[in-house]
Amino acid sequence: MTNLLVLKEHLKSFYGKNEIYIIPLVKFLVALVTLLVINGRLGYMTQLNNILVVLVIALMCSFLPMNMIIVVAAATVILHLYKLSIESAAVTAMLFLLLFLLYFRFSPKDTMVVVLTPVCFFLQIPYVIPITMGLVGTPSSIISVGSGVIVYYLLAHIGAGTTTLNATDVEGTTQKFRYIIDGVIGNKAMLVTIAAFAITILLVYMIRRKSVDHAWTIAIIAGAIANVLVLLVGDLIFDTKISILATILGTFISVGISFVIQFFLFNMDYTRTEMVQFEDDEYYYYVKAVPKIIVSTPEKRVKKINPQRTREEISRATRTK
Amino acid sequence: MLNEDRIILMTRMASYEENEGKKNVSIGSYFRGDYIGLQVIKSVISATIAFALLVTLAVTYDIGSFMQDIYKLDLLQIGKNLLIVYVVMVSIYIAISYFIYSYRYNVAKRSLKCYFNNLKELNSLYEEEKK
Repeated sequence: MTNLLVLKEHLKSFYGKNEIYIIPLVKFLVALVTLLVINGRLGYMTQLNNILVVLVIALMCSFLPMNMIIVVAAATVILHLYKLSIESAAVTAMLFLLLFLLYFRFSPKDTMVVVLTPVCFFLQIPYVIPITMGLVGTPSSIISVGSGVIVYYLLAHIGAGTTTLNATDVEGTTQKFRYIIDGVIGNKAMLVTIAAFAITILLVYMIRRKSVDHAWTIAIIAGAIANVLVLLVGDLIFDTKISILATILGTFISVGISFVIQFFLFNMDYTRTEMVQFEDDEYYYYVKAVPKIIVSTPEKRVKKINPQRTREEISRATRTK
Repeated sequence: MLNEDRIILMTRMASYEENEGKKNVSIGSYFRGDYIGLQVIKSVISATIAFALLVTLAVTYDIGSFMQDIYKLDLLQIGKNLLIVYVVMVSIYIAISYFIYSYRYNVAKRSLKCYFNNLKELNSLYEEEKK
């Protein structure tokens, strides 16, 4: 454990020193993974699948603000879908526009979640999103996560119906529209997932704000269990055909990732908890103070064998020559 | 001469201006009513576009039967219903944005107050130095 804490301190100081390089690198990686996942799943426009194009776009994203990744991801998705059928591109563009107009005008900070939720779905670890947002976000994150789930199910539905959507007859335009919109509105699996994620976020948020010991740990485990339970109950009632094994396995991995996040954000030493009570003219205070675990990193000392000369001394020496 | 207190204060203020302050300063340049009014107008425009999109989606979804029955439909009644839905939607949206933006304005003002206090302190530091 101590080694891990030392590693954490090292990472922190490394980040502090190299922040200027690390942030663009993180942006680059997020953009790269997002684009690769989109291309892997949709990939109808072959020009965009070229790894060189992907790298260039990701590199551009690393210098732009974080929210540009969302714009780029949305544009890529729409271009791919345009190649498949203009109807699917139109519906998706409308959905993106609606999300932007109705919600993200208010909370541009949360927009990244809408990209990360589908990406995590495609990477088979979607449950990490509600747990993490419960830990670091607020209940309003439910809307962003819900929007992300809708985007995922829309794309998955379009991906599943490629043959229907690829048909070129003009008569089928309405059918295509119907196929796509029905897939979103009548999708029970999507509704169950949104409900499960909303409950998880609320539960995790409520528990982690309690002043009980190990609140974050309890919150993560309770959130994971609640998530699985709601998904399974939803499956029983609405016959959503979710894979139980994949759900449980995905939850385990998500819990693991959440613990890593907890390690970095919230690390308390509950053995040294102090409970104090005092009063002033207006209030009684019952204060619980929990110290953070802090380790001092071993310092490296450089012993100088030859006394270094200062710049002045060097210049004086050269002048005398 | 370098004044350490002044440099610390100036660094802190510059960091504020660079990060969270950027937004607050732009919010603070409005009067309360103007700021909220502008945001509400933007919200009305957003809600109108969103409503138009939803209606377009609904119409394209059912365009076959819609075109078939267009002469049988009571278009006036449909128009009235649409108008009611539109007004309700925009009203809810206005209420939400009024609430959110008045809260944001208050938070920004409070934060700017602290910033202006720092400015004053900086000024007094300069004055002291002159003496």
